[in-house]
Amino acid sequence: MERIIHLNVNSEDYEVIVRPRESLLDVLRNKLNLTGTKKGCNEGDCGACTVIMDGRPVNACLVLAVEAEGQNIMTVEGLAQGPDLHPLQEAFIRYGGFQCGFCTPGMLLSAKALLDENSDPTEDEIRKGISGNLCRCTGYTKIIQSIKEAARTMRSGQVDERMRANE
Amino acid sequence: MEVKCPVCNKQRNSSMKIARHIFGTGDKSHRGWVNSQGVSFTDLLIAQAMEAGNRGFTTLAEIIERVQETA
Amino acid sequence: MNNDKHTVVGKRIPNVDGYEKVTGSAKYTIDMVLPNMLHGKILRSPHPHARIVRIDTRRAEQLPGVKIVLTGKDTLGRKNGIWRSYRELCDEEILCRDKVRYVGDAVATLAATQEDIAEEALSLIDVEYEILPAVFNPLDAMKEGAPEIHDGCERNMNVYRQIEWGDVEEAFEDCDHIREDTFYCSSQAHACLETHCAIASFSHDRKLTLWTSSQSPYYTQVLLSDMLGLREGDIKVLKPHTGGGFGGKLSLDSAQYCTSLLSMKLMRPVKIVLSRAEEFAATKRRTPIHYQLKLGAKRDGTLLAKKVRAITEGGAYTALGGTALYLTGFFSSFPYKYPNFQYDGFRVYTNNEATSACRGFGAPQANFVSESQVDMMAEDLGIDPVEIRRKNGMTPHHEIPDQAVIQSCGLQQCLDAIKKYIRKRGELPPNHGIGVSAYGFMSGGIFNWIDTPYAFSAAMVKINVDGKVDLFTGATDVGQGSNTTLTMICAEELGVHLEDITLHVGDTSVCPVDLGAWGSRQTLMSGNAVKMAAAEAKRQLLEVACYYLKPNIVYDLNIKDHWIHFTERPYRRVSYFDVVKDAIRGKEGNPILGYGHYTPHGKGMVSPAYSFGVQAVEVKVDTETGQVDLVHITTAHECGKVINPIGLEGQVEGASIMAAGWTLTEDMQTRDGKIINDNFRDYKLLLAEDVPKMTLLEVDTYEPEGPYGAKEAGEGLTIPTGAAIANAIYNAVGVRIKDMPITPEKVLRALEKKAAEEKDSEQFVAAASA
Repeated sequence: MERIIHLNVNSEDYEVIVRPRESLLDVLRNKLNLTGTKKGCNEGDCGACTVIMDGRPVNACLVLAVEAEGQNIMTVEGLAQGPDLHPLQEAFIRYGGFQCGFCTPGMLLSAKALLDENSDPTEDEIRKGISGNLCRCTGYTKIIQSIKEAARTMRSGQVDERMRANE
Repeated sequence: MEVKCPVCNKQRNSSMKIARHIFGTGDKSHRGWVNSQGVSFTDLLIAQAMEAGNRGFTTLAEIIERVQETA
Repeated sequence: MNNDKHTVVGKRIPNVDGYEKVTGSAKYTIDMVLPNMLHGKILRSPHPHARIVRIDTRRAEQLPGVKIVLTGKDTLGRKNGIWRSYRELCDEEILCRDKVRYVGDAVATLAATQEDIAEEALSLIDVEYEILPAVFNPLDAMKEGAPEIHDGCERNMNVYRQIEWGDVEEAFEDCDHIREDTFYCSSQAHACLETHCAIASFSHDRKLTLWTSSQSPYYTQVLLSDMLGLREGDIKVLKPHTGGGFGGKLSLDSAQYCTSLLSMKLMRPVKIVLSRAEEFAATKRRTPIHYQLKLGAKRDGTLLAKKVRAITEGGAYTALGGTALYLTGFFSSFPYKYPNFQYDGFRVYTNNEATSACRGFGAPQANFVSESQVDMMAEDLGIDPVEIRRKNGMTPHHEIPDQAVIQSCGLQQCLDAIKKYIRKRGELPPNHGIGVSAYGFMSGGIFNWIDTPYAFSAAMVKINVDGKVDLFTGATDVGQGSNTTLTMICAEELGVHLEDITLHVGDTSVCPVDLGAWGSRQTLMSGNAVKMAAAEAKRQLLEVACYYLKPNIVYDLNIKDHWIHFTERPYRRVSYFDVVKDAIRGKEGNPILGYGHYTPHGKGMVSPAYSFGVQAVEVKVDTETGQVDLVHITTAHECGKVINPIGLEGQVEGASIMAAGWTLTEDMQTRDGKIINDNFRDYKLLLAEDVPKMTLLEVDTYEPEGPYGAKEAGEGLTIPTGAAIANAIYNAVGVRIKDMPITPEKVLRALEKKAAEEKDSEQFVAAASA
């Protein structure tokens, strides 16, 4: 009952053999070795496995791998372009938007999906955008700040001067 | 008045404080001495935990006083 | 001490693990796979209390892919506990032999080629239980005739602790006003995002390597050595990145133990990852506590005497609950100078999941009840809540008889800062209220439970020929940022850049022993060890530099920015890199090594230093629904010299929200010992949408015992939030909730009761005047 499916993950094509009930999360982690996407509950409640599928943030643990056939998937490993980090990644580092780091990949992708839709979100829109992602460490405040600063950088298309001043 | 612990000779200024000391130490010898006085260490400790007031510790304090007087 | 001279300490330094964590390249135990690795699972008891009559593993063993099934009979039968010198407190077999004591106790473990085969095999193990009567409430468990959970432990009394100074009974007679109140503090799941997990690899050389998510690789190594009958040196514990701890990854856990047992039989690597449901049901949790408090004061607000009785629910095993029992008593006296204090704490076994350390270690519970009661006392006496705290609050150089010596203490400045904030906030909208709570916490415990002769913290610094520095420490980063803090301390002391330092952590075979991440100990204790190791290496460089610079004494020299120079005349200098090379030449080619260690002494029984603070929480209460919304959290926290402001802010914000969740929404519900909300849908952590704006008011102090004057900033911040919320609710709508968690139903019920009482008294007044 196993079947071969084609996945496009981070702009790379993969051919994988999957079982019908296998989740996209397990395929990403176990078959493609993309372990950046985390498994926190496997029930769709924590958001640690958030990836972007066809432009929308989804919990990879709730998506069957077979449903992802032919879709464009982005995981945390696809955020940076070679040596250049994504502005969200830069901002999370600079503003302390993580502690243990376990929720971070999912948080980054929820944030990216939000900024792709809305390049200038209000603080409330940011809170709503990451309300499916649990973080036990930070109390969210620095995550919200990081996303806000990343949005600003992306809009201005350059590194905010105030960020430099912080260095 | 100084009161002595009948087990380890620790001195405090009241029998109540020695009773607290005995429960607080709670090792085999202190526990054993309490049980040898015809009461149960655990029962008194639990009385102290569950009842309002100080019955558990007061009971032991009275025993300590009795023992001290007869010594 | 001129703090401005620091080049690294005190700066906003991004976390040194940042690049790995934001790119997904940071490896956690859960991400790891070893060649030839098997997957393990654990069968857990569905009963809260039962005798194991028979376990038939044959059907499971016959399932293709299953390699082995083990039960308690396959172990050495030893019992685990962190108080190694108190055998009666080592009470957890982990894999039960004869009896299960809570829903989730492990009865069998197995390994298979694939995870789903392992899962299927669990259902093929037949266990015959003889169900025993169970008891879930500590007050019932102490009653005569209650089921005996541990053989020989009469009436389930696990630990009794007392603290006393002065004479409370005499002092109560001198009081003008006495309050007696009872409270209940509820439990809390640690809810680390990475569940407990381990990979064990034992091979024919009879050596065990364990990769695991742990707060103390050293404790894991020592406890495993006891349980498996291996020498410590034959066990190597590796701790990759760890997805949170919060006190929950300190005891030896079932994943660590069962993978080790399986691997020792199979000579193959075995991995076990607990499911989220297992994480809720079968790890440890915050200690729920029943309190009775008696507080006596003079008319002017002087607090003269306090008597505390606490009954803590132990659950099935001791774990670290004995320390929570002691600390909840000790911190019931904080942060005030009670001349007379008495504490009696009773820890009682029940047939629930064991309770243990959880961020704050008993102090948040103590503070919820104590700071609620101080507000009630202030109201009774007609005194401003900030003023009653100021009048009784601790000050520097305070000594608690037979317990503790407090050196630095900025509580009074914190009270000033909060008072100013409240005044500035001015008139509040209807149904809004601000509540305050004052607190203090330890910078690491002077507790050697594990009974180790090693120093509590140690570090090694190695300087190599290119000037790069290797820093080895057993300190454990579980997200709180100790890797960054310790790298900063090393760079500051050695006068090098952060990029010059390569950190080596999380490997018991290489790193010097450190007790790990608990009790907010690492900034002070591991920080002191790192500072000493760096200073020792630095001294060796300065000795060589003397030949070039010819100072009167070596202490005239310093290192900064890769130059070794005269402190007073920095332009007279020699290159750090040149001196490193010469120093190595002079040491017969050996690298420069510095070793540092720290064990607190002469500082009482509890901790070498204490941080203090005051928090003000503003809430809005919906009187229709009972819903409590957080509006603003303002914290004045003093933790000595701040090593890294980004790290400090992250701790304040994260701890406040974890504590707010405990207070308001995290309601761990059980039925017949089974946790029924064992998932994040029904067990509600606060979400980004629930979190208010937070402000940190800085208060500067300097702690002589800490590195560069630093103290803790980890768990302490979970302490004040519960009471501040309860006090804020009272100030908003006039109802006092003494029973956690403060759910909308409880608020609503209290509002209804208050309305009914007001109506009664109106009728009474009306009738009387008619």
